[in-house]
Amino acid sequence: MPHLEITDLSAAYEADAKVLKDVNMTVDKGEIVSLIGPSGSGKSTLLRVLMGLLRPVGGQVVLDGDAIDYTSKSSLRHVRDRCAIVFQQYNLFQNMNVMRNVSIAPIKIKGWDKKTVEAEAADLLAKVGLADKHKAYPDELSGGQQQRVAIARALALKPEVLLLDEVTSALDPELVNEVLDAIRVLASEGMTMIIVSHEMAFVREVSSKVVMMDEGTVVEAGPPAQIFDAPKTRRAQEFVSKILRH
Amino acid sequence: MDYTFQFGEATRHLPYLLGGAWLSLQIGFLAFWGGAIIGLLGALGKEWGGPVVRGLVNAYVVFFTNTPGLVQIFFLVYALPEVGILLPPYWAVLIGLILNSGAYLTEIQRAGFTSVRRTELEAAETLGMSLMQSVRYVVIPHIAKVLFAPLSNFYIWIVLGTSMAAIFGVEELTGRAINISSSNFRTIEVFIITAAIYIAITVVASLILALIGRHGFRVKAKIF
Repeated sequence: MPHLEITDLSAAYEADAKVLKDVNMTVDKGEIVSLIGPSGSGKSTLLRVLMGLLRPVGGQVVLDGDAIDYTSKSSLRHVRDRCAIVFQQYNLFQNMNVMRNVSIAPIKIKGWDKKTVEAEAADLLAKVGLADKHKAYPDELSGGQQQRVAIARALALKPEVLLLDEVTSALDPELVNEVLDAIRVLASEGMTMIIVSHEMAFVREVSSKVVMMDEGTVVEAGPPAQIFDAPKTRRAQEFVSKILRH
Repeated sequence: MDYTFQFGEATRHLPYLLGGAWLSLQIGFLAFWGGAIIGLLGALGKEWGGPVVRGLVNAYVVFFTNTPGLVQIFFLVYALPEVGILLPPYWAVLIGLILNSGAYLTEIQRAGFTSVRRTELEAAETLGMSLMQSVRYVVIPHIAKVLFAPLSNFYIWIVLGTSMAAIFGVEELTGRAINISSSNFRTIEVFIITAAIYIAITVVASLILALIGRHGFRVKAKIF
């Protein structure tokens, strides 16, 4: 049984304009699924729907055998206990230093032991290469550093699935690799991830499955070798030929 | 100018004036914090309340920011006894100032709310925070930083505004200055000393607030 199963999922920002149309997808434990496709194809929206930031209008999401009811607070809590998201614009709390950004949710929301959480947060920050930045505030960090704090913050809640929404798109090119390296470490540790990215070489390198989306639907899904080297659908062929030309 | 200054006539009343200054500070402090609480509720109501709550808050803000504080206090002192509520002048002034500052602080704090980035709230939501937890850990600290400077300025303004209490016989700094000058007729000297005390109070308060802002809220404000 897949860890996460998405069936016929639909979502809309406005009543008559669906941005997701009957999306089907599965994610197994330890799998890294990358979503690719042109801007506006619904990749980020899919992540927002999974986290309950946008309520679906149809379809079903089953996480670890439990069907999620996005209208129910307890069901939403269940999703947010198990999944964490990292945003394109980091979205760190500007009024908190790095350590507090990472530790506030485990301490204040989960009620976990402060000392243990801070020790784990220190380990996470070391893992993303920020061992010496505990006391810095977000506005004192580069974009790449802020994004790595955001990754540590998401991991502090010990999620089963990590969602990464274009985490390198807002970064200067020379800062992209430091964030990708942090994700590579997680991949090597077997973290289940859904990644939305335009870094095609990276997607090809780390993904176990690539899902190509266009106009709110899944066009084709398969291993990276299939999607990038021998796509079966015409739309995927067009997209891949365009991006690989660069 | 052939006026002969006689500051001795004023300075010998300095302890009495300083006692009045202490009362001014107390009234200012209570009026500010009372108003801040009303303002926080008002801003929450205006931002997230339903149409009825928003309408009530709007009516309150419009009334109290478009009529002079002095008129509002006159109303409390002279109109309320007609319906059986007799407030001592100190309380009438204090309640008037609290209601007045609450209206201004509603608008000031609402501006702070609107400055909170939606993206930070989404992050808080996905980390599992409830609305109240977001308000406590993200919204209030954020607006505290944004609002520290305007609130500091308002605090100074309200301390100076406490001088209105003199009209109603409250013996705060201005009230005591009027008492002295009407007995020794050294009005100019007494009010020069009184002005100097007000300046000293506000300069010290500005300094303390700037230091608190710098170390407590990372507000990079110039001290002067």
